[in-house]
Order: sequence, then structure tokens, then C-alpha cells
Amino acid sequence: MKYIILIFLVAFSIDLSAQQKQFSKDDNGKFIYYKVVDSQSLSKDTLLQRAKSFVNVAYKKSMKAESITDTSILAKGTMVIDKTILVAGHPSGEVSYNFVFEARNGKYRFWLTDLLYIPYQRDRYGNFVATTKIGTPLELAPGKLNAGAWKDVVNSTYNKIEKFGNEFKKYLATDKAEKAKKKTETISTKKW
Amino acid sequence: MKKLLTAIFAMASASCALAQETTTSPLEISGSVDTYFKYDFAKNPLNGKTSFVTDHNSVSLGMIDIALKKKTGKASFVGELSFGPRGQSQSIPDAAANNSSFNIQNLYVNYDFTDKFSMTAGYMGTFIGYEVISPVGNFNYSTSYLFTNGPFQNAGIKATYKFSDKVSLMAGLFNDWNLYSATRGVSAIGGQLMVAPVEGWTAYINALSGAGYGGYGTIIDLTTSYQITKEFKLGLNAANYDIKDSSVQGSYAGAALYPQYAVADAVTIGLRGEYFKAKAYGTTAATSTTALTLTANVKSGGLTFIPEVRLDHNSDKPFFNKSGAIAPNAGQFSLAAVYAF
Repeated sequence: MKYIILIFLVAFSIDLSAQQKQFSKDDNGKFIYYKVVDSQSLSKDTLLQRAKSFVNVAYKKSMKAESITDTSILAKGTMVIDKTILVAGHPSGEVSYNFVFEARNGKYRFWLTDLLYIPYQRDRYGNFVATTKIGTPLELAPGKLNAGAWKDVVNSTYNKIEKFGNEFKKYLATDKAEKAKKKTETISTKKW
Repeated sequence: MKKLLTAIFAMASASCALAQETTTSPLEISGSVDTYFKYDFAKNPLNGKTSFVTDHNSVSLGMIDIALKKKTGKASFVGELSFGPRGQSQSIPDAAANNSSFNIQNLYVNYDFTDKFSMTAGYMGTFIGYEVISPVGNFNYSTSYLFTNGPFQNAGIKATYKFSDKVSLMAGLFNDWNLYSATRGVSAIGGQLMVAPVEGWTAYINALSGAGYGGYGTIIDLTTSYQITKEFKLGLNAANYDIKDSSVQGSYAGAALYPQYAVADAVTIGLRGEYFKAKAYGTTAATSTTALTLTANVKSGGLTFIPEVRLDHNSDKPFFNKSGAIAPNAGQFSLAAVYAF
């Protein structure tokens, strides 16, 4: 019984900590997801090269580079936000964003801002599609009627962006050439 | 029902577990439930000449609609079933006798050969027209004459090529309208050109020729909508249907305009103004109806309240007044609640 209570308390505290995660606001009052990452062993050029690969290869379907300099990348992108019912769900909308990356020797920073939400609606064929082309800024507080639903959208977006940020950090920390080399290694079962 | 839910849950769990190891998308489950109250000003339920919302002075049911979708790699399926008057006896086809069956809204498989080219086969919501069976897909709760007289669904096989985000073309071969299996073979050919000239404006030019309502005929349809500002959206549907045999009832022409304005974050008000002409057939003369429908959508999360006032006019007097005599005008008020999940 004690264990059950303990598990419940741990689960509850995890849930509470999950709820506390929220966007910061930038100088213009817009939601921003901002990270500075120390990357001691990597040069500015390597970081930039990997970031370019992330935008143009890994996320080529949902991101488009707008401008690239020798220290920075500006890209636009969209991500689909899901509505979950038990273990299944469906897309509830998409969030478009501006992605900014800046590199220096040994460290880099990136942020996502200008978050605009476009809700999806099921079309005549059972597919979820955008209801409009005009997005609503995520930081805009809705009326009371939709406050709960909007809070869910903001939370889902934060979780999705956090996942995106972690993937980006992992991508930049990984040497793709080394990874590809490892993949091609073969294991012989003849000798042991 | 319990077994069905268990099966769905098991499938969903399996797909979720699979999703952690592969790029397969999880099983999508969505749907809607709707109910309504309608009051006919002449207290006559026969004054409703379009689909659904048939009952007078009654809290009545629409339907429960459940859709499943799954995509694995380039292949996907959609299966969508509805239960309740809107999806059964009032929809076509009603699969079993005594109006006791369900209606398949969508049942098809799709394969994306490339990012631009895909093929779809099965039973699908029609590509013709502005309005659909599902109340979630419409702004107004009652339906237009153009919707009621056009096809609801088409079974067939179609190919779609997307030239760009602004232009795509669909062509396909179809059964008769609204039938799970063909009675006259795969005997209709259809196509759709989609153009999106500017951001927010999409237009579909549709054609379907072959076996349909009233024999063989050809329908040409324009369906377009333009989100002009964040608040204001304008939709238009115009169609013409000619049955080859002019002695058969069913040919029509008409147009409907759909201006909608969001007055608040959760409240949108819209008008549907429609002109509909049932064409002459045999010795019967043509007759025209104009209908004006004022609708509000009040949204709170997944729930939408839809109060609506509808006025219809036809100088040939197809309606009835309070005393039961024929009349040129009809009017109704309805309040619907639609929950989408």
C-alpha cells in the first residue's frame, strides 16, 4: 500500500512539474523558446554545418532556410500539434515558427519565436486539414469559452518544441560521418 | 460494444507501441456527436425540403460519427462510420432494411507513389459541392438544396497529381452516386481541378459525368472559399446538373453564397443565401426556391452551439402554413449542439 501511495505521489509530482513548463516571453511580449548550449570541442564552422544539415536534410519537409550567413541561420517551419485521447489521437492543428541559430567557437544558441497556431478540421475524406491560412499568435489570450482548449494547445506546443530542441542539440552533438561509419560495421559470427 | 472498444483500444495501444520503434504514424481516432431542436414556424415538419434536421418541436438526434485513420509509410486508410438518423435513414444508402443500419462515410485506401502523385480507391465523401454530411464539416446546421440534390458519396478509384501547392488535378472512375457497389458498372468519370490563386483562396472546379441520380447525367460544380481577413471568410458554390433523359426529374442548377464573420474569438456569424432551380422534366415546369439561413457558431473547446434561423421562398407554394394550406414561404428555428473529438 505504501508503495502505491509513493508511486502515486511521484507520478503526481512529475505531472505537476510537467505543468509548470511554459514559454518565456521576449522583448516584444512574444513566446520564445531560447537555449544557449556549450559545445567546447566544436568549432563554429562545424556547428554551422550541422545546423544547416538539420534544417535542409533532417527537417527538410517542415523547415525552409530563409537566410544563411557564416555564423547564423534563419529558417521558417511548421510543426503539427496532436490531440491525444488515451493512447491514440489526431492532429489538432499546426504551429508555424521562426527558427534562429547563431554559432561561435565552442558554443551556440538557438530560439524559436513568432509562434502562430492554425487549427485543423476534419475534411470530407476524414483527413485533418488547416481551416485557415491565417494563424493566431500563441501568446494571445483567448476568451473564457476556449481558455481550456487554448491552454492544451500551448502545453502541447511547448512539449513539441522542447522535443524539437532536444533533437537539435543531439543532432549538433553528433558527428554524422562517424555515425554512418558505425552503421556500416559488420559483425562476423564465424569467429568468436 | 465493449468488445469493439476493447479492440479499438488494443489496436491503438499496438500502434502506439509500434510508433516508438518505427516512423509509422499512430492510429488516428476522431469523430463527432450532434443533437438538435427545431421549431417550424408553421408547425409542419414537411416544410423542411433539404437533408437532415427533419423533426419539428423535438429534441432529436443527428448522429455519432467515428473515424479511424492510419498511415504506414506511403500507404494509408480511412474508415468512418456513422450511427443515428443523420447517418442512417436520412443518408444514402441506408444499408439495411427498417432504417436500422449504419452509414459508411468513408472507407478507402490511399497510396502516395510520390510526394506529388497519389491514388485512392474505395468509398469516399463526394468531391462535388460545398457542404458535407458530417455537421463538423459545415458552418450551417441545416443543409442547402445544392447539397441535398447532389451526390453525397462516390465509390471509385481516383488519381491525384499535385503540380504545386497552388494547383492539383484529380481524375477518377466512379460507380453510381451513393452506392457501395455499382448497379450499372463503373460508369461515371469525374475530375477536379484545384487552384489556389492567392493565400487563403482555394477554388475547386469539379465535373462528374455518367451514372447518377435519375439515370445518366453530367454535373459541373464550382466550390470556392476565400479567407479574406482573419475575421471574414466568403464561400461560394454553384452547380448545374443535367440528366440525359429530359423526361426524368432531378436536373437542377443553383448557387449559394456563404459570408461568415468572426465577431469574437469564439463566435462567428454567417449567412447562406441560396438560389436553386429544379429544372423542368416531362410536362412538369421548372420551379425555383430562394433560401436565406442565418447561423451562429459559438465554440467552447470541442463543443459548438449552432443557433439558426432559416427562411425559404418558392412562388409555386411547395410549403404549408399553420392551417395546412399550401404556402410560398417556410421558416424554421433550430438550435444544435455538435461535439467534435
